[in-house]
Amino acid sequence: MSALSTGTYFTSYRREWALRRTRAEYLRLGLIVVGLAVLPYSIDFYWLSIVNMILIAVIGAVGLNILIGYTGQISLGQGGFLAVGAFSSALLYQRAELPAPISIACAVVITAAVGAFFGLPALRLKGLYLAIATLASQEIIVFVARRWEFLRDGSAPLTVDRLHIGGFEITRELFEWQWYWILLGCAALSVLAARNLLRSPVGRSFMAVRDQDIAASAIGVNVTRAKVTAFAVSSGFVGFAGALLAHYTETVTWESFTLQVSIVYVAMVIVGGLGSVAGAVYGAIFMSLVPVLLTEFLVPVAGAVDWVSESLPAIENAVFGLVIIGFLLFEPRGLDRLWQRSKDYFRFWPFRY
Amino acid sequence: MKRFRTAVAAGLLTATALTACAPGGDSADEEGPIKVGMIADLSGPTSDVGSRYHKGMLGYVKWLNGEGGVDGREIEALAEDYAYDVPTAERLYKKFVNEGAVAIQGWGTGDTEALSSKITADHLPFMSASYAEELTDPGKTPYNFVVAPTYSDQMRVALNWIAEDGGGKADVAFFHNDSPFGLAPLDDARTWIDEKGLEVDLEAYPMPAGAANYVGLLSQAKSQGAKYIVIQNVSSPAAQVAKDIAAQNLDMKIVCLNWCADELFIETAGKAAEGHVLVQPWAPANSGVEGHAVIDEFLKGEGSSLAEEGLHYAQGWYTMHAMVEGVRGAIEEEDLSGEAIKDALENAGSIDTGGAIGDGAIEFTADSHRGSSATGIYEVKKGEMTALETGVAPE
Repeated sequence: MSALSTGTYFTSYRREWALRRTRAEYLRLGLIVVGLAVLPYSIDFYWLSIVNMILIAVIGAVGLNILIGYTGQISLGQGGFLAVGAFSSALLYQRAELPAPISIACAVVITAAVGAFFGLPALRLKGLYLAIATLASQEIIVFVARRWEFLRDGSAPLTVDRLHIGGFEITRELFEWQWYWILLGCAALSVLAARNLLRSPVGRSFMAVRDQDIAASAIGVNVTRAKVTAFAVSSGFVGFAGALLAHYTETVTWESFTLQVSIVYVAMVIVGGLGSVAGAVYGAIFMSLVPVLLTEFLVPVAGAVDWVSESLPAIENAVFGLVIIGFLLFEPRGLDRLWQRSKDYFRFWPFRY
Repeated sequence: MKRFRTAVAAGLLTATALTACAPGGDSADEEGPIKVGMIADLSGPTSDVGSRYHKGMLGYVKWLNGEGGVDGREIEALAEDYAYDVPTAERLYKKFVNEGAVAIQGWGTGDTEALSSKITADHLPFMSASYAEELTDPGKTPYNFVVAPTYSDQMRVALNWIAEDGGGKADVAFFHNDSPFGLAPLDDARTWIDEKGLEVDLEAYPMPAGAANYVGLLSQAKSQGAKYIVIQNVSSPAAQVAKDIAAQNLDMKIVCLNWCADELFIETAGKAAEGHVLVQPWAPANSGVEGHAVIDEFLKGEGSSLAEEGLHYAQGWYTMHAMVEGVRGAIEEEDLSGEAIKDALENAGSIDTGGAIGDGAIEFTADSHRGSSATGIYEVKKGEMTALETGVAPE
């Protein structure tokens, strides 16, 4: 859309339904596809492992954004739901010896059911009260994971065999590289599914509940059903991320699913932009990448300056915190809004708006 | 929709094409410094002892490089903080592997257990400050090496001592860090009590992380009738327990295992530490063992002393020493691979520590990666660790 046009117009319904409507959007999609295809060849395996963790975080953040951003139901139970997904898939794959795709699919369903159950308080509670209720779900799930010996291999954490699907098995040499393609496919599918879900009647009902639940029920939205569905759908995505995490890291221990994980995910959604699938993706990238880049940047500085090296971890945490505060002050609606604004700036130039 | 399908098909085609031309892996350097990865807790919940241990490792590397390194090659420490967070440890591990580390020095029980399947697949020798018993079995974790007596062995020694000191029936409260580290010796402790027919009644209490005090736990222990509190946690929370016991005027004796049995516990608890018992396989700084001389001399050059740095410094120092002995053996065989270092460690015989640990030496075999089993029992007297017994193995 150029500065002089008054809107985006369509001459057919099919054009209007399309996920991408303008030529510029297709161009950007093309650039992203090329970028993602070239990426694993231009970075080493360590950085690829970070990209892989980001791809898993993307799935989890997209799921959480459906709940927090689109339905307005705050959740601090992310870590717990990730744990449910991870443990169910690992157990089904390892102990029941189901093929990986089936165990992952079962994990998604199980986590969705658990999420719907722990979402029941949402029917009565809102805002901060709901946050505390979901905090309880986080603590309960992690407590069970801690104490239940069935979820451990003797006294060692549950280990998951290297991923094999049919005759294909991940090799040691190409571990990160092969996982990259698997995770990229899964993340792309999740993003696509979320985008489409949110323009369906179900997705619209989520947003109606978020904006004004009484008005929503007045226009015929079943608020109860919408809330429970939102919890189930969101947890399904999170369970998917958890299951992939289990197969990718090959070890499942409750220590990877603490409250801190939940908070980092909430931060991803807020920093990225509430109520935007793209925002969840940006947020996942931001929250995973900034601490790593900070370390990369600060370690050489620490070598040169003595007092920095002594308190390096503290400085890293402080800088990370400041960056987040800075972002929120500068643009409370997140990275997605920042992207929209910079697009508008160029589109309307030389005018302000 | 048609266009979408074309796009998906095109995407799949490119993906298949790309899969066909996979990148090749890098091989380790033949020359240049020998890289050893270090996963350290410098800012997490166990950083009080973790940073001291880590300084000891870095100190050893600096000293060794000053002495000419291993066969003329320097050791390069790839060291980073992981704040006791398992996912961060996994990321750092991958980073170190990618940077060509030939061996890894880890820290906590949780991350060591989480990484054990990976190091087995990657054939990388791994030592950590976790002395969990299950890491000593090469049948299960062939690349994990445990230099010190396991937590279970320390616990057995502690229980034997308590049974003797109590004279008759003793009620014991086991306060532990609420993590795999804290829980590591519990099952073995129960088995030991049954096997040896000790008249000990053991109850376990997880210590909530970040608690301001442990008065609540102590009152539970009191109603159990506990006279002894065995603590499997790091120094700062253990010192808090000592202060709480003093403040509540309770008649209880703390028996600290490894990670709280140190000078830091005494410094932090102050007068409240008096009379408590410490089970510690590593010789304290005031013991004047022969193996500490080299450390003290090095630290003098750095403007410090072992008395200042504490026994965990010596612990880090000699853990690194054991790993380097493996590296040295591998270099003699002219094969600096993980397998070669593992073989060298298993065949190194006894690695001398000049009395710094247990009965003085660390020894691994192909059947057992339990480096040593003897430990010392100390009592806090006038703010010093005073030996009650040394070189005690569980019997």
